[in-house]
Amino acid sequence: MKSFSLILRNEWRIMIADKSLILVCTLLTLLLSYGFFIGLSEAVSRDERVRELVSQQERGQSGIVEQIQRIVSGHEKPDVFANPLNPALVGSGLGSLYAIMHSGALSPLALGQSDLLPDHYRVSTRNKTTFMYQTENESPWNLLTGRFDPVFVLVYLLPLFIFAISYNLLSSEKEQGTLRMQLSHPVTLQTLMFGKLFARLVPVLGVTILAVIVPFLILRGDAVMVSGQLPHLVVAIIIIGAYGFFWFAVTLFVNSFGFSSASNALILVGTWVFLVLVAPVLLNVFVSRMSPAPSRIELATETRLITIDGLNRYHELLSSDYRHIKDSSMLVPSDGKFEVPERLQAFYLINKAVDEKIETLLGDFESRLRAQQDLVERFGFVSPSVLTYEGLVSLAGTGTRRYQDFKQQVNDYHREWKEFFEPRIMSGQIVTVADFEKLPRFTWQEPDVSILLAGSLAKALQIFLATVVLFALGFMRLAKVDVL
Amino acid sequence: MTWLIVTREVREFYRDGRFLFGAGLVAVLFITAFLVGYEQRQNVFSEREVAQQLDYDDWINQPERHPHDAAHQGMHVFKPIPPLSFVDPGITNYVGSTQWLKAHRQTEVKFRPAQDATGLQRFGSLTPAWVIQVLGPLLIIVLGFNSFSGEREQGTLRQLISLGVPSWKLLRGKALALFLGAFLLIAPLLLFSVWAVSGDDLAGSRHDTLIRSGFLVLGYLVYLGIFIFVTLAVSALTATSRISLIVLLAFWIIGTTLAPRALVDVARMVYPIPNQAEFNTQLNQELQREYAEAWQEHFGTDKRWGSDVPLSRWGEALRVDDYAGYDAIDRHFGALWDRYEDQRRLQEFFGLLFPMLSIRSYSMAMSATDFTHHRDFATSAEDHRRLIQDLISSNLTQHADGHGERHFDYKVGKEFWSKVPRFEYAAPAAFFALQGSLNSLGVLLASLLISIAFAFWSSRNLI
Repeated sequence: MKSFSLILRNEWRIMIADKSLILVCTLLTLLLSYGFFIGLSEAVSRDERVRELVSQQERGQSGIVEQIQRIVSGHEKPDVFANPLNPALVGSGLGSLYAIMHSGALSPLALGQSDLLPDHYRVSTRNKTTFMYQTENESPWNLLTGRFDPVFVLVYLLPLFIFAISYNLLSSEKEQGTLRMQLSHPVTLQTLMFGKLFARLVPVLGVTILAVIVPFLILRGDAVMVSGQLPHLVVAIIIIGAYGFFWFAVTLFVNSFGFSSASNALILVGTWVFLVLVAPVLLNVFVSRMSPAPSRIELATETRLITIDGLNRYHELLSSDYRHIKDSSMLVPSDGKFEVPERLQAFYLINKAVDEKIETLLGDFESRLRAQQDLVERFGFVSPSVLTYEGLVSLAGTGTRRYQDFKQQVNDYHREWKEFFEPRIMSGQIVTVADFEKLPRFTWQEPDVSILLAGSLAKALQIFLATVVLFALGFMRLAKVDVL
Repeated sequence: MTWLIVTREVREFYRDGRFLFGAGLVAVLFITAFLVGYEQRQNVFSEREVAQQLDYDDWINQPERHPHDAAHQGMHVFKPIPPLSFVDPGITNYVGSTQWLKAHRQTEVKFRPAQDATGLQRFGSLTPAWVIQVLGPLLIIVLGFNSFSGEREQGTLRQLISLGVPSWKLLRGKALALFLGAFLLIAPLLLFSVWAVSGDDLAGSRHDTLIRSGFLVLGYLVYLGIFIFVTLAVSALTATSRISLIVLLAFWIIGTTLAPRALVDVARMVYPIPNQAEFNTQLNQELQREYAEAWQEHFGTDKRWGSDVPLSRWGEALRVDDYAGYDAIDRHFGALWDRYEDQRRLQEFFGLLFPMLSIRSYSMAMSATDFTHHRDFATSAEDHRRLIQDLISSNLTQHADGHGERHFDYKVGKEFWSKVPRFEYAAPAAFFALQGSLNSLGVLLASLLISIAFAFWSSRNLI
């Protein structure tokens, strides 16, 4: 133990003198802080956008309510296509409400799918294809490239910093001829190597974890506490720690073979290329072949066919003339009743038919995607990078599953919305001020936290297992003298 | 003499197994990527072809109905898959593939394949282009990092120079040997393309595809050439192979993983884009203004589709309304898309330092899978939609407006449906791609020249 701490101190002294440790730690902190800055600014602008949408919606709603009051009291004559009393118009757009999924407290950690998948939909009585495919404005080039968020720094760059500082752990001593001298002291090669490794591991992982935690606690502390996501942060740190340990174990293992420094560097970068760049991409090919997404073309064709069918079925309703145009007294209610233009009823029914018909198709898309995600989780062990990425992204609340849950909840809300309007549209009840109070509203339900946390811990555990195996193998190899 | 150097280098590659192992691994990935991409393309292609045909048949065979109702049914157009997309799918997964041409409003190209995939895709996709762009330079570095430094360490460099071998000849020989390696990497690309084109009666003329393939191969040779000369230059400058390797690996990692993402942020800061909500608000405000103006001018009221305009003028009103919006829509979408292009161009310029940034965009353009090509499709689909709208509104003006109040009783049949032409999209020719790639190609060539100069400069004094 005494020699171990001696090695530690000695190593620190050398690394501080040659500035390598300080350089690595500073760069890592800078990159992580920059990543956090990008993640945070995206999260903030997303939250602002949502707030703006909500306030726009509130303004719109109160405008409509006032207009209804004016029409009912006879102060205003309504328009055919913007009549706030008409349930078909209110339900299909005029009074539409947003279904919003709020961003998680840890979202600056990983942008994940948040730049690709919408976090809000404007739900109406129209069919799902009309509002479920709204996308955020983002250059496809940028989507393809990805962003510089903390998870990128951790998954891609952290291993490289670990290599930079420990690729020649053993080889440099050999090349400088100092190894024999060191071993002439009463110390084993294993102790020496572990001492050298821990002299690097402790500061590098310490700095990494601090660079993740500190900005969160300073800038997002309230959000983390209020939303009760402190456990999420703790699990995120465990995953990051496990990932860091893994790459240190890899360098120890590679070093234990006693190759030259250049060979070590090559082998380590090769390992990095395979585990960080190639394995996830190959896993992606595997996953999308095992559970391929159904055809969007089929969905498009199906939507069109059922629309044609509806147009044929409601032929008569659609041909009804627009008497309302001439006789504007028809736009005003009598006894709370109102004649909804038959064309609009027909369009409601067509949309409903489309929804019913494509329900199974859309469900198929979702279940295939779920199956893909299951596969990613089951075979994530092929690369600790996949495990770390998936774990951190889901803790940040920007993973595929959370977006799928959101879509599912929007699905239910859409049904509720249509149920509210259908009797009104078909029987010609006017929309009243009181109805606006009763409009179904969407509240995002966070999925079960314990499943998320358990799943993430399981990922950390898998990385730890690989780490332990590598450490043990490295330890056994170092016991052999031929390394010298 | 040069060939002597080349054969000696190549022999060395083989001897220490580096070449066989590295190139073998890259080749396996490369071929897998090809097969996966090619098969996918074949499937989707035939599906789209059939769907497009069915779509038009349904349009022609629809029963008699009011033309505007038919416009609600609309027509789907599917983006054709460019022949070389299996080499480089570019942004294909991040843009839609289907546009529904319907009444009233320009619609987005929908259904991004990326939405049907897990987060894993953000690590990248296995495509031949990815393999060459990311792993190609690594292979060159692995083969060449000790070209000069290794010989210096072994003491053979001194011997060579003492024999009177000029350093530029040495450089040329070593570069040629590495080029041979690079060409072996690219050769399958060439072969596969020619094979794909020869058995291909799919969209786009063979001639055009061959020209594109040629330019693609040329671009990749320039790209790998840059890395060859940089590798040799660094190897000549550094004292030991270890330092040479570390410097080159750092250059490769920064260029292929760090710089692209960092520059996305730079581009977004320099050319900010409005978010969807802002964009819609601005567009809608302007549309309302333009509509009000047009209705005022033609019908003396600023209220659209109100009781002030009798049904006997609705055909005319439809046309006026459509045209009033076109200008604002074109301007807003045009400005947004221009911004995307600006962002890309800015990133391309950094290709001077990090060649990956310019080759990526060049390769997408040559494979017809970049945003410029996508935009061309979206624009012609929208033109087709406007054509349908024009045919409908002029038909309504001529016939339905005479029906007065019973406007929606008016119906047309097959004769009118067949007046609407089939949507035939001809993908732009290679020249179009080349025109759009002048920037990236220029940057690539410039960095090649710089790297050559750098290599000659650093090898002027080898000892």
